[in-house]
Amino acid sequence: MRVESDRGAYRLVARREFVERARDRSFLISTAITIVVLVGFIVGTSLLNRGTRFDLGVVGVDARATAEQVVDAGKALGFEVTVRDYPNEQPAEAEVRSGSADAVLVGGSEVIVKSQPPEQLLAAIQAVSIRERARQSLERSGLPPDRIDDALNVKPLPVRALEPIDERRRQSSVVAFIGVLALYGQLFAYGFWVASGVVEEKASRVVEVLLATIRPSQLLRGKILGIGSLGLCQLVVIGAAGLGASGAVGTLRFPAGALSAIGIVLVWFVLGFFFYATLFAVAGSIVPRQEDLQATMTPLSILIIASFFIGIGAVQDPSSTLASVASYLPFSAPLVMPTRILLGDIAPWQALLSATISIGATFALIPVATRVYSRAILRTGRVRIREVLRVEG
Amino acid sequence: MLELIDLSRRFGDVVALDSVSFSVAEGEIVGFVGPNGAGKTTAMRIALGVLEQDRGEVRWRGKPVDQSVRRRFGYMPEERGLYPKMRVLDQLVYLARLHGLARSDAASEALRMLDVLGVAGRARDRTDALSLGNQQRVQLAAALVHRPEVLVLDEPFSGLDPGGVDVLSGVLRERAEAGVPAVFSSHQLDLVERLCESVVLINKGRIVAAGRIADLRSRDHRRLVRVEILGAAPGWYATLPGARVLDRFPDGAMLELSDSLRERDVLDAARAAGDVRHFSVVQPSLSEIFREAVRA
Repeated sequence: MRVESDRGAYRLVARREFVERARDRSFLISTAITIVVLVGFIVGTSLLNRGTRFDLGVVGVDARATAEQVVDAGKALGFEVTVRDYPNEQPAEAEVRSGSADAVLVGGSEVIVKSQPPEQLLAAIQAVSIRERARQSLERSGLPPDRIDDALNVKPLPVRALEPIDERRRQSSVVAFIGVLALYGQLFAYGFWVASGVVEEKASRVVEVLLATIRPSQLLRGKILGIGSLGLCQLVVIGAAGLGASGAVGTLRFPAGALSAIGIVLVWFVLGFFFYATLFAVAGSIVPRQEDLQATMTPLSILIIASFFIGIGAVQDPSSTLASVASYLPFSAPLVMPTRILLGDIAPWQALLSATISIGATFALIPVATRVYSRAILRTGRVRIREVLRVEG
Repeated sequence: MLELIDLSRRFGDVVALDSVSFSVAEGEIVGFVGPNGAGKTTAMRIALGVLEQDRGEVRWRGKPVDQSVRRRFGYMPEERGLYPKMRVLDQLVYLARLHGLARSDAASEALRMLDVLGVAGRARDRTDALSLGNQQRVQLAAALVHRPEVLVLDEPFSGLDPGGVDVLSGVLRERAEAGVPAVFSSHQLDLVERLCESVVLINKGRIVAAGRIADLRSRDHRRLVRVEILGAAPGWYATLPGARVLDRFPDGAMLELSDSLRERDVLDAARAAGDVRHFSVVQPSLSEIFREAVRA
């Protein structure tokens, strides 16, 4: 039997982490729930924000002609009008009473509504009708048709907004908020998985079987890579589902922006995950049982939660001093920098600088973490970090 | 040959191993025997590189053992360890792959090992769904799945039912016949005596006796007598000058006779004490050698 080199041992470890966790039913269920909630949210908001529509019933040819113009007026004003013909008043009234029609236009003479008149629709009907009746009386006074058109085609007054809504920025804010939320959840969940995975191996003592075969550094590297890849894949799937749903219901006005937002979130997940996973692995290696994990994870939890709140704050005010500083610190940058990039608050070199700091910090952390992990992983009982760092050999 | 040379290790002020040296030839099964806390597990962990020694070295086929060599060793730790949630077959394939087997070899070897150990029917089950005895068999499969060049097994028989003991004994013999050196620790000395030609006796971190069991026995010149008497008062042998009790069992005892005491005197005393059912002059067994070595 051929014995393969052990250079790729960490890949076997990573593969196991990925496959075993991806196969886990609770993981599949929670991923499905996340996607359902996200898609539901997107479809739900689009239904709520969908342009207003009205059903307008008509009785008689005159009414029909007026209704056609109401449809056009509605289009110009941003709502949709569906016209339905009724042979006489009675069925039309019944429809209004039951609520399946919003209003009925009878001949050129009357509008029937149930109780509270639909104001937008009524305003349009009135405007069209007034214009129509004005045209008729002008025709009766013998004015030539082109003069009548001139008289009636008056442009509406222009409107000047003092604080115009920047649609692109608004979408970016929403996307940034969702991005921070996703990064927070993902960093926390997958960081915890690294810690509890380390404890699982330690508590079940399988680590002794493993370390008779591979080095602690290979085990640690494989574990972090495997779990991180799964987190990345899950983010990609969720992001694609969100993007697909938004595209399908037409919520996204700037799809390219959303796509790059997902890319930015993915990049910062990778940067943040490696930094935090290294620390979570240490937190796991120094405790004997899952029950004791909470205590060593608390400082990390506080860091992530605090960074999360700074990240949320940055959605409102991306250039605050706090957000500016936090976007360069390796522990908070993954939750703050994406927002600032998405809201166009910073230059590319600043983003690159922050990413470089994150990568540098992780690389500085890895040897120390590996050292603590290697020494602590085979010990029983609670291990003091200072102790394992000090002891030589 | 697997050689442990001058291994020493301290834990704080406790000397766990003090210049421990012994070797296991290819095709040899060596029993590693000693009281709890004698240093057996420490020595085995050092041999597998799970623990570092303060001094000394481990050699295989004349060369110092490193990580790549150890991957071809089979190890069963004293504290059993498997992934509780992983399926049995997946677990074995994974471990075989870590030991360097190609994927197809890993799968076929894992299935073969499960079959040999009588747990093939549980291949698709989660490990923690198995009884402790069956988990023990899977643990053995994990130590053997990659057809190791060397076997180091810490208490492999503890927790096995008689059927499991027979299966494992068979596997060990078969591996030894294939030229694999095997060392295992055990407190079941009769088992060690049956399975091994040689033993290493360790006590308080030092080797106190080592070699072929037959040699150790022939070197032991003590005269031992096994007596069983029905209805004797306890302590009937107290009247015999120069008899030392090595072991006591229901209605009987194992006595060591001093030079001045003759076997017939013991028999006379026994007959006076009650109805003698058994009287024999015996060669010291491994248990007696062990007790003597540990007492010293």
